[in-house]
Amino acid sequence: MEITFWGVRGSYPVPGPMTVRYGGQTSCVEVRSKDGGCLILDAGTGLRALGQKLARESGGAAGAYHVLLSHVHWDHIQGLPFFEPAYIPGTTIAVYALLTAADELQHVIGGITRHEFFPVPLEAAPAQIQYNEVEPGVRMFIGEFQILPIALNHPFGAVGYRIDAGNTSVAYVSDTAPFTDVLHKQHFLRGLEPLSDDDRATLLQIRADLVNALAKCDTVIYDTHFLPDEYRKFPHYGHSTPDQALEVCAEANVRRLILFHHAPSHGDDVMDLISASYKEKGAALGIDVITSAEGMSLRVGTT
Amino acid sequence: MKLRFWGVRGSFAMSGKDFLRYGGNTTCLELVTEAGERLVIDLGTGATELAKSLMSGPLGKGVGELNILLSHTHLDHIQGLPFFTPFFIQGNKLNIYGADPAGTSLERTLQNQLAPHYSPLEGLENLAAEVKIESFQPGEKLTLGPFKIATGAVPHATMWTTAFRIEAEGKIVTFLSDVEYPDPETPDAGAVALALGADLLIHDSMHADEEYGMRKGWGHSPVAAGVIIAEAALVKRLALFHHSPDATDATIDGMVARAQARTKVPLFAAAEGDYLEI
Repeated sequence: MEITFWGVRGSYPVPGPMTVRYGGQTSCVEVRSKDGGCLILDAGTGLRALGQKLARESGGAAGAYHVLLSHVHWDHIQGLPFFEPAYIPGTTIAVYALLTAADELQHVIGGITRHEFFPVPLEAAPAQIQYNEVEPGVRMFIGEFQILPIALNHPFGAVGYRIDAGNTSVAYVSDTAPFTDVLHKQHFLRGLEPLSDDDRATLLQIRADLVNALAKCDTVIYDTHFLPDEYRKFPHYGHSTPDQALEVCAEANVRRLILFHHAPSHGDDVMDLISASYKEKGAALGIDVITSAEGMSLRVGTT
Repeated sequence: MKLRFWGVRGSFAMSGKDFLRYGGNTTCLELVTEAGERLVIDLGTGATELAKSLMSGPLGKGVGELNILLSHTHLDHIQGLPFFTPFFIQGNKLNIYGADPAGTSLERTLQNQLAPHYSPLEGLENLAAEVKIESFQPGEKLTLGPFKIATGAVPHATMWTTAFRIEAEGKIVTFLSDVEYPDPETPDAGAVALALGADLLIHDSMHADEEYGMRKGWGHSPVAAGVIIAEAALVKRLALFHHSPDATDATIDGMVARAQARTKVPLFAAAEGDYLEI
């Protein structure tokens, strides 16, 4: 497999001189199998450039695309209306997401192009867009990819995905808080709330299931939005630190950890420091730590 | 009166080395009087940078008040709202004024933007600041502190957006973005009235003139449309605005040079950066 990062930023796109090297666009990762099969992980603003590339590659011909969403916060879906293949007739776009409320996915995701937000509704786009619900723990098969959705700990719910193909594996674990201080449910958190015993048990279960799902995964892309001191200020925001990611990956015997979902305030110089410092911390645990940057492509496995 | 562009990009925020001189953030402008009173237009991603600069003033201490005009609620004009720090500080008063061109009230629209699916803020009521949202009808006049504002509806593809003529300290700034006239070759009377004699006209110039034919009906103007309004309205200066996400710094340089060659109205391309004296 090969993975390419089209957007690595969390929360909102950050243009300007501070993000030239690591990139300013929000979550979007392309996964390619050796046979050319393609999965798109999240539809943040990075999806626009990926769509332009896919349309160029196909010479403007219709294609079939699979977009796996972690959740539907703006920074993970706002690239969808700017995805060029959506405007090529005959194209099909299968979107996979967690149903987190009573509303149907097509209303929630299609709702980002309601009249007041965007000039052209997605449902009127020439491509056919299908919405598929995912369920944590229930495997899906798309082409040669075997995909396991994994429950995460994020406001209003999010899922990670472990993707196996051709004897290798990559997992996408974004967005998630750690499993110690907050159990995210479907209500607004002003700050920390006391955890009940049930909440603690639920968190331990989510963590155990995650470690289990990531067992011996080759490459794990993980939400490492915060540095530890930032996390302590905002433990209720639903994001992790590289240390917390390393802990999970060490327990799951992961070979390589990719830092992802960089905070908007972390400019290139800060990212250089994070990258160097966690490369070292990872090495001590036997984990190869790489900091994702927009435009970066990595081979996963030998084929 | 001074003006600062915090976001000049249309449709989509663009990062990277090709967008450093003009800037990649989406629409957000700040007007400041000599006495330091402020007015903000639109809350695109540029608003996140504006927010940082406001933190050293009263809005950073929870004792500030800020008036914000929204031209419309397409995402590139509001996507900075959930990250605009003054909203998260108790004691601040933020007043948002806009029209309801989509048939949904402005308040409902912003509430939808912060709906639990889309944002961990889960609704306007969770913003710590006191937020007032007021809809107006285009054509109404607003007085916000020292700023006297005339409003008007201008066509924008399947809807319309609000243009503003803002007067303070004897100077006039007209904001005419996200507009496509049925006939860009003929000066639109409503637009000319809003821009008449303005010290600065900020105009949608998303498309290079030679590309406009392919993008007609998308709701944005060719460079020539702004030039025609500027000439008819006898404005003192024209700022090309709402740059296409595909327009690199070099592309915009070329658009400015070609536009300046065809008119005597001094013009420039809006860029993120320092305060401009009006």
